[in-house]
Amino acid sequence: MNRAIDDYLVKLKTALAGADNATIQDALSDAEEHLTTALEQALAQEPGLAAEAALGTIIETYGAPAEVAAAYKEMENMTPTALAIPGLRITRPRGNRFFGVLGDIRTYGSLLYMLLSLATGIFYFTWATTGLSLSAGLIILIIGLPFTAAFLLSARGIALIEGRIIEGVLGERMPRRGTFFRRDLGWWGGFKALVGDRTTWSAILYMILQLPLGILYFTVTITLIALSLSLIAMPILHYVFNFPIVQMEHHAYYLPGWSMPLVVMGGFFLAIVTLHVARGLGRLHARYAKKLLVKEGK
Amino acid sequence: MNPTRAEDRKFQKELNAGTAALVLLSVVSRASEPMYGYQIAKLIDAGSEDVPMMKQGALYPVLRSLEKTGLLESTVEPSVTGPPRRYYRIAEEGRAALDRWTAIWNENKGFVDSVLKGIYHE
Repeated sequence: MNRAIDDYLVKLKTALAGADNATIQDALSDAEEHLTTALEQALAQEPGLAAEAALGTIIETYGAPAEVAAAYKEMENMTPTALAIPGLRITRPRGNRFFGVLGDIRTYGSLLYMLLSLATGIFYFTWATTGLSLSAGLIILIIGLPFTAAFLLSARGIALIEGRIIEGVLGERMPRRGTFFRRDLGWWGGFKALVGDRTTWSAILYMILQLPLGILYFTVTITLIALSLSLIAMPILHYVFNFPIVQMEHHAYYLPGWSMPLVVMGGFFLAIVTLHVARGLGRLHARYAKKLLVKEGK
Repeated sequence: MNPTRAEDRKFQKELNAGTAALVLLSVVSRASEPMYGYQIAKLIDAGSEDVPMMKQGALYPVLRSLEKTGLLESTVEPSVTGPPRRYYRIAEEGRAALDRWTAIWNENKGFVDSVLKGIYHE
């Protein structure tokens, strides 16, 4: 790849400072794709052309970094983020913040994510630990380096996919394309860039930590859901199925009849608390995932 | 005509920003195969020699925004020589939107034309 294209991308990145990291990544991918293709075709048409001169014209028609950056920033302001579709916000919570959680679409996304995270956590953890230990074990063999490279690339791919899931269900803006690597580095240089990149390792750390976090999210959510549902269903359990609250040897303990309305109300209260917990965890997790999975802008 | 005065450039830029989505939607809808950004930019440049369209770099965020609202669909395919390319094709919703937008554009054009001809003062 061309030095001038790299220079342009660096300038574009600087001009995009302050924009969302994911937007920066999209803008860099678009620019890299366009400039490389344009240069290729210009050189194909006029083989004798100097690359530098051709790129000058190409960049002129593509737009100065500041102009292009402004276009992306403008579009970012106009485009609603995932799940914030105008039609879905009709049930905007009014006044009452406690019940407002029921009308917030992200609550249910978070709930889904909490339940899903155990499955993805197991997969990520297995993939990361297997990959790391095999890479370490094979490093003395010839296939060690290609294997390590493939594993590190797979971790970045998984980070991108996890980002898409998080944007879809938790609503946090995440990258839509992979990060760009300079292409003039060659095989060995590219490998060094991959190993030296902080996001490669933070993505692997994320995959490992996802197992304990997934277990925690899943357990907390499932316990709270089960508890609130059983409280809500308490009268039916008591009077229809004759199911006691505590059973020890031959003694069965039932709650007194007058407490039933309180228990059911308590169940509904706990259900709403559960939704708050899920949404809160979802927000925290989205912020944490962005720190580990997305390359920081300068 | 290439505007040199600052206020002319501003007017041109605002006009382009307003019509870019319609132009891109139409270009992509007429293509028989999915197109990537550079092809689209080239095609628009070829057809707009007299009219300075917006910078090519400003087309990409519009493409992404159209994709995000479901009017375009895209797939990424690896290319032999460079970074992977994103190919855009029109979605069903996009065709419907294009019809509606074309109607809006024609109404608007008709209105502006008639104002410019001065029929309101007869």
